[in-house]
Formats: sequence, structure tokens, C-alpha cells
Amino acid sequence: MAQKKRKKKGGRRLHKTDKQYIGLLVLIAVLLVASVICFTPLNKRITQGLDIQGGLSVTMTASHIDGSAVTAEELDEAVTIVTNRVNKLGASEATVQAQGSNNILVQIPGLTDADEAISTIGKTGTLEFVDLRTITDQDALAAITSGQENVPLEPGTYTAFMTGDSLSGVSVGKASQTSADYAVDLQLDDAGTKAFADVSTDLVATHGQIAIVLDGVVNSAPAVQSAITNGQVQITGNYTVDEAKALKTVLESGALPVNLVFSESRVVGPTLGQDSLAKGVLAAGIGFAIVAVYLLFFYRGLGLLTVANLGVFAILYLGLLAVLSHYGLFALSMAGMAGIVLTIGLAADSSILVLERVKEEIRMGRSVKAASLSGVRHAIGTSVDADLVTLVSALALFFVAIGTVKGFGLTLALGIICDLVTLFVFKMPLIRLLANGSFQKHPVFWGINGDLEDGHAAEAAALERGLGDA
Amino acid sequence: MHRRMKDINFLGNRNIMFIISAVFIVITIAVVAFRGLNFGIEFTGGTSIAFNNVGDIDIADMRSAFDETDETEVVIQTVVSNGEPGFLVRTSQTNPDVAAAEAQQIAERFGLPTDSYQVTTIGPDWGGNITRSSIMAFFVSIIAIVIYIAWRFQFKMGVMAVVALFHDLIIVIGIYAIVGREITPNVIAALLTILGYSLYDTVVVFHRIVDNAEEGKMKCSLMKLANHSINQVFIRTVNTALAQLIPVLVLLFFGGETLKDFAFAMAIGLVCGAYSSIAISTPLYVLWKEREPKYAKLKKRYPDDLPSTRRRKQLEREAAAAQAQ
Repeated sequence: MAQKKRKKKGGRRLHKTDKQYIGLLVLIAVLLVASVICFTPLNKRITQGLDIQGGLSVTMTASHIDGSAVTAEELDEAVTIVTNRVNKLGASEATVQAQGSNNILVQIPGLTDADEAISTIGKTGTLEFVDLRTITDQDALAAITSGQENVPLEPGTYTAFMTGDSLSGVSVGKASQTSADYAVDLQLDDAGTKAFADVSTDLVATHGQIAIVLDGVVNSAPAVQSAITNGQVQITGNYTVDEAKALKTVLESGALPVNLVFSESRVVGPTLGQDSLAKGVLAAGIGFAIVAVYLLFFYRGLGLLTVANLGVFAILYLGLLAVLSHYGLFALSMAGMAGIVLTIGLAADSSILVLERVKEEIRMGRSVKAASLSGVRHAIGTSVDADLVTLVSALALFFVAIGTVKGFGLTLALGIICDLVTLFVFKMPLIRLLANGSFQKHPVFWGINGDLEDGHAAEAAALERGLGDA
Repeated sequence: MHRRMKDINFLGNRNIMFIISAVFIVITIAVVAFRGLNFGIEFTGGTSIAFNNVGDIDIADMRSAFDETDETEVVIQTVVSNGEPGFLVRTSQTNPDVAAAEAQQIAERFGLPTDSYQVTTIGPDWGGNITRSSIMAFFVSIIAIVIYIAWRFQFKMGVMAVVALFHDLIIVIGIYAIVGREITPNVIAALLTILGYSLYDTVVVFHRIVDNAEEGKMKCSLMKLANHSINQVFIRTVNTALAQLIPVLVLLFFGGETLKDFAFAMAIGLVCGAYSSIAISTPLYVLWKEREPKYAKLKKRYPDDLPSTRRRKQLEREAAAAQAQ
């Protein structure tokens, strides 16, 4: 009798809630189509990180020589300067980002000749002009006047009358008409020209020397032969054309407000990265396939739902990654790839959670419809809690950690968000709609026949107990 | 006809599980104390050069090539990637300029193409940075998680979830120490995700305990209710652990070096996470909770409703003896 009554309740008439469920399914269909459009072709739409694409990745740590803390403004300024330098290297898709409180991450895709880049981007680039008479370090002074090259000067033992801030133009030219070496020609701005004119006028009588100091090392110390009033100064140092150009880049972009030290540098060959990507994709594919087969075997029709759910999840996920790539917010790294493979497991997990709960409620003697309603509700509660807890650690990784780990946290967090969306917009409405019809008609296909039998037995037992009590 | 299985007695035999975990933890501490952990260059500073597809160059050739550089501490390993032989070379060089030049020089010497090797140089201070930020990430997650669980469920659950977490982390570290695998920042990331997994499992069980405890009046001890809850979600635990373990294992066997790094830590972590939600967090939580008057009373009223297997046999013998009299 009870069964008959239930059957009536679960008729095929469309309820208001059914319409909502269908609406949600239409919504997900639209989202899916949009995602597919966004991410095809995959290899173009999802930005590949440096470790996959190949190139140079450098992390530099900023500090002050005196050990004082680096401020956020200084780090920003350093990022801007480094960006200028990287752009002048001709790297089009390079990214320069601040990481943490004192790190700068430079990524130059496709660049495999790292030497030049490394020597250019991290140079402090502090240019100073020093009247030799202000140098207090007698040993250094003696070395310079004796013509020794590259004499280092300790900070505080000299006073600069002008710095690189006074440059208005920098160009590369031959050191002299007959020389094979290159030099960097500097044009000073008005204030610089005046300062240089004053000092050189002062020194011309004694043929005193002016030291040109680059990053604390005396580059050259020409003796003043005549007052220089046109604001033109040349830096010579037996440079090749490349070296002169690198110096030009450094000087033009201005001096860094901080000292940069290389913390990490990775040079990845392009074939290597593609190779590991291929392996990752293969692993993801195999993983996905085995999980699908396993679920189909274990849950039959319901397993099919789970596999469909995984498919929907994967499409949405790829769509999201493509959109983020488009806005330059995402690049797939190997660590990120690991995160992606793991989210397959997470998505399967939340599906299994729902199925198990629904089956269990059927076993407890609830009607298929009632079970799917309350089962889904309960299981969603659990899934959301569990997802949020994982999200917390993924976000902590993304925001707090540095280096490759960041990418891992990001893909994991994005995967969890997609999982939550899939759960509410696809899985929940679909199960509830099917519960109204197909589940009841084809229990064997959906793999719930055993649970139904248990349910009837439980119901019968309860009935018996109830009679006994009465 | 009736397919429903009897509850598996996990919590009644909790002492056995505690002993197993304790043994693991002691072994871990001993191994870490005596052998230490093998930290990657990301933590110690240095250079790692991976040469791929090196043909028939053998390790002696490679060693003599490095002997010509200024490097003193050179460790050379042979690796196979993509079915082709390769070398993984570690040196103590912390200057990226020099390291890149050396790698190039060696590649040229053997006639290897410029894209067949990969140079990673880590500055001496970077390890400190990485370690600091990892520890920060770890504590930020832990605190956030305890707050979330305390808010959503109960404070005691939050604490025990975290205890289970430490249990899992210690065991993973122990296995790293035993097999001597290198610990890289990727491993740290994997460990931090294990936090997530371990919690996920624990949260699912706790959620069920809360659901069950709220349903009507309790007619058994909390331990029995918790054991029943574990059984209710047990198939889920096994199935999801498998569903998650499969991709991880595939990663371990088919993925490249970076992916293997993650996969190894995750595989152990997953198994530990599933185990600890049953063996550690739930029984400890119940033991703590049963100190509260309400549950202490229930425990007193139903003293032997979840005996250990040994105790049950003893009870049965006593009952039989009583009957015989």
C-alpha cells in the first residue's frame, strides 16, 4: 500500500521545482558551450608557464646593503625598472612580478641564452661622478691615479657631485674613430651639464681627475683637459657592442633603489617542458579514464552520472583556465598540472559523497524521490564543508607561499570552485529530476536495486516492530 | 535477503590503531634524528643541471667533464626520462651566470643541443625564504581550518582534525626520511595539500557524527555512535580514497620528474589521511568529548556497547560461564 501511495506522489507531472532544475541544466549547457568556445584550441588558449614553454625564470631578492628593510614602494620601483630592462632585451611576453615582500620574479619565455639577460636585469645601475679630491680612501685613490682599472670604492669614502639621475640621453658608439671597442655616450641634462661644467672648470688648471663610478666600481677616471660645458660624457671600458648595449639598457632604465641578488634562476629548454607537459596530459587522461571505469563498474548508472559530472567539471575548469589565461592571470606550470590532476580526484570525491548518501537513504527505507531530495541536501552540506576546508589550504598556499608552489595552490583552488559550481548547477538538479522518473523505473540500470531491496526489508522490519510495539 | 552488513568495529579496537600510529611516529622520529632529511637545493642553495637524451655518454665522462670546471662538490646521478638516458648533476654553485656557462660548456663538449639541458640555480638565501613562506602557509592554513571547523562544528573537532593532520605529516616525513627521497618545495606543497585531504576525510566523518547525534535521543555511547558514523561513510571513504589515489598513482608512474615529486608525497598522504580520520581524529575526539557530563553519563549507562574484539570474547566467555552455572 505504502508503495502505491509513493508511486502516485512521484508522477510525471512537472512541479515548480522541476522547472527550476531544468532551468539550471539549461544554464549549465550554456556555460559548457561557452567554455568549449573559450578553450578551443587548448594549446593556444591556455597560457603555458615558463617551465613548459621553455625560457628563463629568475627570482631576485631585494635588499639594502645596510640591511634595512625594503619598502613596498622601493620594490614597486624596482619592478618597474626591471620591467623596462627586460623589455629592452626584446622579450615580448616577459613578465615581472613582485613576490612576497622582497622578491622579484622575472620570466622570459622562449629565451634560452640566459647570460646576457642575467647580467642586465639585476645590475643596480648606480652611476656616480666623483671628484677625485673627495675620495678619502688613500689606497683606492693611489690605485686610481696609477691607472689601475675597476677599483672598487667603499660607500662613504667618496662624495659624488652628480649621479645617473642627471642623464637625459644614452647612446652606444665607437670608443674612437679608429677603435674596435665600443663606448657608451652620455648626454647630461641641464642641471647635470652645469654641475659637470663647474667641476671640470675647477679642475682644468690642475688637470684633476673625475672618476666615473658604476655600482661602486671606478669605471674610468679621465683627467680634465678642458672645461666640459656641453654635457657630453663618454664611458669607455673595452666594451663589445653587446656589453655596451647592456650597459646602455641599465643606465637608461635608471638606478635600482635596492640591491638585487639572484635567488633562483631556471633555464628550461623548450622541448623539455613540452615533454613533461605531454606526460602530465597523458597522466591526467589515464587517471580520468581509470576513475571513470571504476565508477561505472561500482555504481553502474549512477556511475555514469558521476562520469558525466566529471566531464562537465573538466570542461568548466578548462574554460575558466582559458578565460584567466586570456586576461594574463594564469599560466600553466608543472606544479599547476599536478594540481589539476588532483582536482579530478576531488571532483570524483564529491560525486561519490552524493551517490553514497542517496543510496544509503534508499537503504534506510525512504522512497527514491525522498532519498534523492534529502540525500543530495545532506551530501551537499558535507561536500561544501569539505571543499571549503581544502580551499582554505589552497588559498593559503596561493597567497602566502612563493615560487612554484603558488601555481599549485591556484589550480587547486580554481578546481574546487568549479567543483562547487558543478555540484549545484549540474549534479543536484539532474539527480532530483531523474529521481522523479527514471530511477524508479530502471533501478537495475541505475544500480540502486540492491539498496531498494534493503530499503523494503528495513521498512518491513520497522513495520513489524511498530506492530509489536502497538 | 538482508544485505546490510554489521558495523565493522573500528573504534572498539582503537588501542590497536593507536599503537600502530605510535610505532610509526617513533620510527619517524628515530629515522629523522639519525639519518636526517635530504633537502633539495631549493633549501640549501646550489645548482642542479638536468641533461636529457645524452645518448651513450656515461657517468665517468660526465664526471671528468665536471672535473675540468671549478666545482668541487659535484653529485652526478643517472636518470631516465622519456625512455632516454640523462643525468642529474648537482653542484654547490650559487652564481647563475657561472652555472649557466658551465652547463653550456659541458653540453658543447659532448655536442648536446642547447635545449637538451635545464639549469636551476638557487641562491644561498632563497632556502630561508622558501622555508619561511612554507611555514607561514602551513600555520595560516592550520589556524584558518581550526577556526572554520570550530565555527561550523565544534572546537574539539577542529583540534582533533589538526592532530590527525600532524599525524599524517609526520608519517609522510618519516617515509621520506626512510627512502631518502629529496625534499623539494613541491613536496612541501604536496604536504600542505595533504592537510586538505586529511581534513576532507575527517570532516566527512565529523559531519556524520553531528548529523547522527542530532537525530533524536542517543541510545548508545558516543563511541558507538561514532563507530556507526564511520561505517556509514566507510564505502565512501574507500571509494574516494581510490578515486583520488588512481590519478596520483598514474602521475607517479607516468608523470615527469616534477609531477612524481608531488605524486609520491600525495600517495602516502592520501592513504594516511583516510586512515587517520578513522584511527586518530575520531577516537581522540570521542575520548575528549566523553569527558563532558552528557556523554560521560551515556558512557556510564552503556558501558560495554562497543567492546574491543578481545574484550568481546572475554564477555562472551563470561556470559557462557554464567549460563553454565
